[in-house]
Amino acid sequence: MKEKSILHVPLLSPGWKKLAFVFFPLPVMLVIGMAITRMDITPDDSAQIIYGFWAIGFGLLNLSREKDEDEMIKSFRLQAFQTGSYWLIWGLGALMLINYLRFDRITSEIFTAYLVLFLLNAYIYAAFKYQIYMATKD
Amino acid sequence: MKNTIKVERARHNLTQQDLAEKVSVSRQTINSIEAGKYVPSTVLALKISKIFGLALEEIFELEEED
Repeated sequence: MKEKSILHVPLLSPGWKKLAFVFFPLPVMLVIGMAITRMDITPDDSAQIIYGFWAIGFGLLNLSREKDEDEMIKSFRLQAFQTGSYWLIWGLGALMLINYLRFDRITSEIFTAYLVLFLLNAYIYAAFKYQIYMATKD
Repeated sequence: MKNTIKVERARHNLTQQDLAEKVSVSRQTINSIEAGKYVPSTVLALKISKIFGLALEEIFELEEED
């Protein structure tokens, strides 16, 4: 039943992590390249390109299997998704508060799906790695 | 939750790696369980107790904060 469940999430092979790391420097080079070639791009657009690529990078890392994907790792992975969602709520709340204090409104053009996906995946990855670090440190 | 896996391992002359292979988890997971940093699932706890030929409660013991 577990394997057939609609709730089962198939994970990518560990090799995908190498591709994920390509997505971190790539948008920075892309934005620099666009600036050098004088393409008409705003700072907000540049930020969204970077957030989008980094969201994909962290997403791939979060959905790739560890070398030994045993029950402890699965448990850490589940906890990481819960913790990541929790931090995202507080993180977005903090951004809204900062925006309100600076501009007298809680919404902003920078609050896009790319930013939210980047923050969510980054928090999940951080929570996952933190748990592994805590479990393995002597 | 306290456990006596380290003691039982020594008694059965098993390394963490040996035990890990027998119960199909990583050596790190066994290390984390022994150190009390990770509480195993019921299935894994039963597998470990079976390897040592002991009852579950002879290896795992609840602590006051559990």
